[in-house]
Amino acid sequence: MKAEFINPFIIATKQVLSQELGKPIAIQIGSLTMQKSSYTALDMTVLIGVTGAVQGIVMFGLSERAVKNFVSGVLGEPVPVIDAMVESAIAEMGNVVTGIASTELEKAGYPCTLAPPTVITGRGVMISTINIQRLQVPLKTDVGDMEISVALRENKK
Amino acid sequence: MATVLVVDDAAFMRMRVAKLLKENGYNVEEAENGQVAVEKYSQIKPDMVLMDITMPVMDGLAALAEITEKDPGAKIVMCSALGQQNTVMAAIKAGAKDFIVKPYQPDKIISSIKRFVG
Repeated sequence: MKAEFINPFIIATKQVLSQELGKPIAIQIGSLTMQKSSYTALDMTVLIGVTGAVQGIVMFGLSERAVKNFVSGVLGEPVPVIDAMVESAIAEMGNVVTGIASTELEKAGYPCTLAPPTVITGRGVMISTINIQRLQVPLKTDVGDMEISVALRENKK
Repeated sequence: MATVLVVDDAAFMRMRVAKLLKENGYNVEEAENGQVAVEKYSQIKPDMVLMDITMPVMDGLAALAEITEKDPGAKIVMCSALGQQNTVMAAIKAGAKDFIVKPYQPDKIISSIKRFVG
């Protein structure tokens, strides 16, 4: 998998966090690693399937703190518990980030379409991308810890 | 008072957009996928539709095609994170009046609605 596949997702994450929260959000980008083993989920994970010139799956992991801070920042009110509406908000965040990133992938010659997001709640859940390697990067943001894991391969058809 | 049908599979987005539209004096109806949108469009004949694209059951482009086939004058604005050129072109060719790229931008949503229904 090409390392540059993950860059649009990092840039789009910063853009979406800043735009949705109405202020610049600082992001410290951790070490990029290539993973073959299963992804170990943070407190909430959004999964989005990708098909087209690239295919596979994109995962966004968030700590509970990041989930609550993001959604409360968007709503302008505290979010004491994680409920279906919070899951919907995080799913939409992943959807918008992936949509923006897919526009950049198209410009790079990889047009693709996205499946509706799936949300997994619970830390430590193991998610396998079977035989597609993953590029993974941890992000320390003003709202909390996040992680982007991209398992995409070029579709030669 | 104009009625806007808000179509998005994300309950959170429907809530945000509905709140914005109600604050700006519009009636709001909601649908969680394209199929429900097609059914509700026939029932309530909204003045305008705000339609997401990536949705389960029936996506926004398929719903756009079905609604415009029945009502060529339908005022449908696509509101999606998918800003790829081919997606935008497909929507416009299928009869969409406008295309708003997410993230959520209240000013753009309101100005687009005002352009078509006042």
